[in-house]
Amino acid sequence: MSAAIVDCHALFGPGRTWDEPALDVNYGLKELLDRGAEAGIDRYCVMAARNSGYREANQRVARACEQHAGKLIGFAVHNPQGESGRVAAMLREEVKSMGLRGVRSDGHPNRELMDAAVELRIPVMYYPRIRPGETVSRWIHTPVSTYPQVNFILPHLGQYRSWAWWGHVESIDSAKRYPNLYLDTSGIGSLKYLEMAVHDLPPEKILFGTNGPELDPRVAMEAVRLQNLAPAARAKILGGNILRLIGEVA
Amino acid sequence: MTSRREFLAAAAALTGVAAAGSSARKVPVLDCHVHAGHAPELTDPWTTIADPAAILKRMDQAGVDQACIFPINEPHSYAGANQEIADICKRYPGRFIGFCRHTATTEKGIREMMLHECRDLGLRGLKLHDIPNTEIMETAAELGIPVLYHPPAVARFEETAKAYPTVDMILAHLGSDMSMDYREHLAAIELAKHYPNVYLDTSTVVITRYLEKAIAEVPAEKICYGTDEPEVDTRLEIFKIRMLKLPKGKEEMILGGNTLRLLSKYKGVKS
Repeated sequence: MSAAIVDCHALFGPGRTWDEPALDVNYGLKELLDRGAEAGIDRYCVMAARNSGYREANQRVARACEQHAGKLIGFAVHNPQGESGRVAAMLREEVKSMGLRGVRSDGHPNRELMDAAVELRIPVMYYPRIRPGETVSRWIHTPVSTYPQVNFILPHLGQYRSWAWWGHVESIDSAKRYPNLYLDTSGIGSLKYLEMAVHDLPPEKILFGTNGPELDPRVAMEAVRLQNLAPAARAKILGGNILRLIGEVA
Repeated sequence: MTSRREFLAAAAALTGVAAAGSSARKVPVLDCHVHAGHAPELTDPWTTIADPAAILKRMDQAGVDQACIFPINEPHSYAGANQEIADICKRYPGRFIGFCRHTATTEKGIREMMLHECRDLGLRGLKLHDIPNTEIMETAAELGIPVLYHPPAVARFEETAKAYPTVDMILAHLGSDMSMDYREHLAAIELAKHYPNVYLDTSTVVITRYLEKAIAEVPAEKICYGTDEPEVDTRLEIFKIRMLKLPKGKEEMILGGNTLRLLSKYKGVKS
């Protein structure tokens, strides 16, 4: 029996798109699960769309995970700045009582969010909003090196839609530098940077992600399929790594 | 009205793909948007090199028969780069259809260059990035060549398409390279519905629901398969079309038939 294919980065529920210009969205499960099934995806880490606060959005994600136990793995989302002083308490409840297994940081992760991630032993997904003249390292280096015990997932190989190609190169180099930094494969525009990541990094550092249903999971799967991975590397990238990061497998 | 057989024969004569005298001959898969050649600046991949041999390897893997190729970025004049495109077409017979590229901001005497490039070098289209001038557009009309244009904004493209209704104009990237602004995809779709001479290329669409929307709302005759190789991989770009499981005739038009039809309107002197 082949290993389960797990999408580490999918979206669920109402809010706004994570990218600009923002658009109101309400991500349903049907399109994600139908198209994901076509792509052969077995399980999904789901998290909320962007919201101004995340208590209700995370509860909605947790309920969906209960209804689709074995199919959906819930991640919380928090805004460390906008929800300052409340993040740790909310996250404790969301992980310990509601069963969520990771957190996405909407904004730069601060000590409150990071200390909670250490305590709860959950991975942190963080895609920095890079201003003109900045690069990925500007925002990744400090939290990732300050919290080496926390596993970070940097989505989109570090550059959504491959708009600035150097963001991919820098992110791949960063994943070599920091043992606790992982890259997800979702939302890339230029496939050659996935080829670069697969060539340059050990397969343990790359996580299959779709950003579905905002993006089509079938395309995300085809991008990985085209890499002609060896079976062991394929199993890690397509699911083994994220299951390890959330503590489901050793 | 041209029959399918006549159309294929005309297109085949133009592009070097054998029609085999049969209407059963498949419509070639033709990518309308590929860069090729060298450039001097070394600041980005698209100012450095686009290797046709590597592109062909991926085309073969993807089942793409032919591609329209044009230069990557040049700082001053495209004369040398367009010659290189013609040379690449000769080096790989039947695989590439050359387009010239020009920019009104740095070049003089573009009409003469375009006439030479199409009549003598065998190029069959024009690629634009910068806002074109009257000289460029009138020469394109005179030659009967399609203009593939990646404009600064869809609104800018509309002004040119409206001013030159006899020129077939392909709007690159469904209006928004890498889907950077969904509003530009929406504007592009509306443009293609409104203007008979506006076509859309499918290249680099990351948010593929806009590709699905275009195919649902715009006549299939107005959508042309494109990739932006080598920055974007033809194997993944063609998957984005094939995964939609379109009716065969519609898929054939999008994957090559439409671009062939535009190319068949060439009325310059044959080289």
